Amino acid sequence: MKAAAFDYIKPTSFDHVLDLLQEHGDDARLMAGGQSLMATLNMRLSEPALVIDITGLDALRGISVQNQHLRIGALVTHAEIEASPLVARHAPMLAKAAPHIAHRAIRNAGTWGGSIAYADPAAEWPACVLALGGTVVARGLGGERRIAADDFFLGLYTTALRPAEVLVAGEIPVAEVDHWWGFSELARRHGDYAIVGIAASARRAGTALHDARIALFGVGATPVRALKTEALLNGKGLADINVAEAVASIRAEIDPFSDLTNSTDTKRHLAGVLLQRMLGTSQA
Amino acid sequence: MELTGDMRLTAPRDKVWAGLNDPDILARCIPGCEGIEVISPTEKSARVMVKVGPVRARFAGQIRMDQVRLGEGCTMQFQGSGGAAGMAKGQSQVELSDEDGGTRLRYNVHASVGGKLGQVGGRLIDAAAEQMANQFFAAFKEQLGEVPARDATLGGESKAPERTHEIAPVPAAMAHPVSGAPSPLQKVSAVPSPLAVSERVRILWFLLGSLSTGFGVWIASLLTRSAP
Repeated sequence: MKAAAFDYIKPTSFDHVLDLLQEHGDDARLMAGGQSLMATLNMRLSEPALVIDITGLDALRGISVQNQHLRIGALVTHAEIEASPLVARHAPMLAKAAPHIAHRAIRNAGTWGGSIAYADPAAEWPACVLALGGTVVARGLGGERRIAADDFFLGLYTTALRPAEVLVAGEIPVAEVDHWWGFSELARRHGDYAIVGIAASARRAGTALHDARIALFGVGATPVRALKTEALLNGKGLADINVAEAVASIRAEIDPFSDLTNSTDTKRHLAGVLLQRMLGTSQA
Repeated sequence: MELTGDMRLTAPRDKVWAGLNDPDILARCIPGCEGIEVISPTEKSARVMVKVGPVRARFAGQIRMDQVRLGEGCTMQFQGSGGAAGMAKGQSQVELSDEDGGTRLRYNVHASVGGKLGQVGGRLIDAAAEQMANQFFAAFKEQLGEVPARDATLGGESKAPERTHEIAPVPAAMAHPVSGAPSPLQKVSAVPSPLAVSERVRILWFLLGSLSTGFGVWIASLLTRSAP
């Protein structure tokens, strides 16, 4: 199918984008890489009057380290994250997760900011940002504001972004020497949205883990943290973790949505399998 | 798909019943509802703008109430169409009973969604349906003068809906698409299960494999035997 007719504009200034959003409100959609939006338009699931292409805003590009945070601009593509030495050093989980995102052609066009703002509950970036305790930077007419990942994902495809606000970057605290992390996901075919995925990080003091954050994706309306299981891991050395207990805990605390091929119980089971795998292969 | 839910409302049963039958209240509670017209005491038509993530589709549909037991419950049949986006149809049962001076409301919904919406949304249809049901009942409680919508959305006193998923294939020919303007706009998906097909294909390959293996063994035995 082809998209219904829409107006297209590619502003070169941020203020112009904000003005357009003010003026057109819900009839306008922002487009970055277009990897989800274009499909939606072509299937006519959505028929906005105006598509605002933000790829002309160079300020939204680039990966940098500022104040102990890795700042990834909204327009940075998945492929750039996959190949970035800065990411590999300061947020190795992202480098590991990137190849799971769809396929090369999509990773070349799809963006970090687009994925986070779209907030698909089975997508990798929202879960990684949550697991790493990241921050989303948004800019609107009132200026810039920073939203903790814990407060950002509110519901199915619903985020804390306001109607006339643009996601400009996502920031991740840089990995220190005590950084521990793991990432794993299951999909029917490589590149599909996850059936279930898990992303986790913690700080190690000696051998013990602290500040564990476990984010699951594909199991709810948003990426969700497994708070009770985190509590089980905190304060324990990796060798001392009772894996069976942790697996039982994560299965007990989630209530996944079924999809067409995987029941709630299947997903609950798989979440435990992933946790078990991750505890065996996580990296420091 | 099937969605069931159960909640306690502090309003008395007759007030809850009146609310469920009041087009103005329904229009204010159904997420994205742009209007409800009363066709007859048991039939209404509604226009609903469904906005779930990437989907922004306008549905027009009908709701018909059957088996009405005044003040106690009814069955609602609904079907609606969203043009190119797809269609939905299904039914929902609502039961009211007195409880501690308030009302217990139980509902269950069976629905199927076809067209693009079903194909694309299959992965998330349960989540979308539950979210819309929660929004509806949160707003409904507010209309009845109960807790603010926000609290209810976050759980309130309503029990989280339970979900079971049944694949209910919708023939592609279904001409009327969605709109479950009935209470919670229920949408469900029903992409025909690919499993049955792939399973059959696998059996076919297995048969071919065994046949060719058998054939190979037979040829080999002939050749060996004919060898000097």
